[in-house]
Amino acid sequence: MNGSDEIILRVRRFDGTREWWQSYQIGLTGVTSVLDLLNKVREEKDHTLAFRQSCHMGTCGSCGMVINGKPRLACQTNISELDAGVVNVEPMHNSPVIKDLVVGLDSLIENHKKVKPYIIRGKKEEIFYAPREFEVTQEGTTQFLQFDYCIMCNLCISACPTVTIDPLFLGPQALGQAFRYLADPRDEGWAERLELVDDDHGIWRCHFAGACSYVCPKDVDPAKAIQLMKKELLKKRLLIRRGKKGAEITEPLQPHFTEEKLTAAPPLDFKRGD
Amino acid sequence: MANDSIWKRLISSLDPRHYNIERWSYTLHRITGVVLILFLIAHMVEIFHISLGPESWAATLALLGRLGPLENIGLWIIAGCVFYHGANGLRLLLNQVFGLLLGKPRMPVYPYTPTSLGKNQRIAIWTITAVVSGIWIWAGLYILAGLGIV
Ligand code: HEM
Ligand code: SF4
Ligand code: FES
Repeated sequence: MNGSDEIILRVRRFDGTREWWQSYQIGLTGVTSVLDLLNKVREEKDHTLAFRQSCHMGTCGSCGMVINGKPRLACQTNISELDAGVVNVEPMHNSPVIKDLVVGLDSLIENHKKVKPYIIRGKKEEIFYAPREFEVTQEGTTQFLQFDYCIMCNLCISACPTVTIDPLFLGPQALGQAFRYLADPRDEGWAERLELVDDDHGIWRCHFAGACSYVCPKDVDPAKAIQLMKKELLKKRLLIRRGKKGAEITEPLQPHFTEEKLTAAPPLDFKRGD
Repeated sequence: MANDSIWKRLISSLDPRHYNIERWSYTLHRITGVVLILFLIAHMVEIFHISLGPESWAATLALLGRLGPLENIGLWIIAGCVFYHGANGLRLLLNQVFGLLLGKPRMPVYPYTPTSLGKNQRIAIWTITAVVSGIWIWAGLYILAGLGIV
């Protein structure tokens, strides 16, 4: 393949009732990634082709699709690295197809919500009215930052054989995020979150096929997070560990935040617009 | 795919093509586990005939004898399943119960190579493959020798 060549792009299409493979022969001039190729098809050949995109830089997580058999971000997949004369593109597996390469992401969002993806503190006011930062060391940050890189692209869910068998499985994205908060030094929701994932469709469904980590474009390594979380759950079940004390609030950094202001803050049950 | 029948989904979940070696062992572990369960059930039905008296047991043995060398080859395959499932099961226990061979949480550095599918895991998987293949070949020779073939 050289710069002036053409390539065959085969797209698995769906229009709401009918499914079919459609081929496009397309010149490679001005094309680097599979996403470029799809855009060129849409501009020059077929404006009915539907796919998602936004950032073109592997940050937004919109352009996930199955490219030559493997779930990948189209904007981060160069044609040259595929090393094939034909590029086959399908919608992500394990999610309902809406049109062509666009899949429904409702269960991704719902499962993510289920694991409470936010810092939980024993004292709520420490979240809403904390006058200063929580004390987190570099070492503490390393415990969760890798898992925090998730861009919710759904690729791990497309790759996971357990999601294929059990559509109600919480899935690698949500479980990875459960561990992201479990491992966060500021968080105090250790027991609460472990109870959430200790469910028929939760963590024990994972058999460590590792496909999630293999396809993740952000090194989130959900498989690692999940196995480490199984260990935490065993500690909880065996009563070796019962909970976690979150990081303390640091020494004041900005003098205008004072204890008096914290005490004077409005009550917690405020409404939007108050 | 999300709307496919359970059988279609089961088959696609067992198809590791385009994926990592851990997913290949996942498939093998499942298949060998199910083979072992089926064998265990068949084996229990077989030895149940002992309790029905000597004639019944003799008839069972005669029936199995009719399989000829197929019986030995079948047992060799079962032995392979036991070796693989057992050895790989120990690796899975290290991973899933003790959190070992996974690497530690770390700062993501490009190019991203997940540590849970990293060097330690590879060493474990290839060691298992080598040891299991070795024992399995030895068992094969032993069985063939029993048949008077080698
Ligand atoms: C040598 C001793 C054995 C060890 C160390 C072992 C280990 C394991 C482990 C760790 C798992 C869980 C795998 C996972 O989470 O993905 C498993 C699954 C399984 N085992 Fe075993 N096992 C052994 C013997 C057997 C026997 C004798 C049978 C059959 C009667 C069997 C049948 C199964 C089945 C059906 C599964 C489920 C497979 C799956 O969900 O992927 N195992 N085994
Ligand atoms: S864990 Fe990785 S593959 Fe899964 S949604 Fe997040 S970024 Fe995408
Ligand atoms: S377009 Fe944003 S990740 Fe590909």
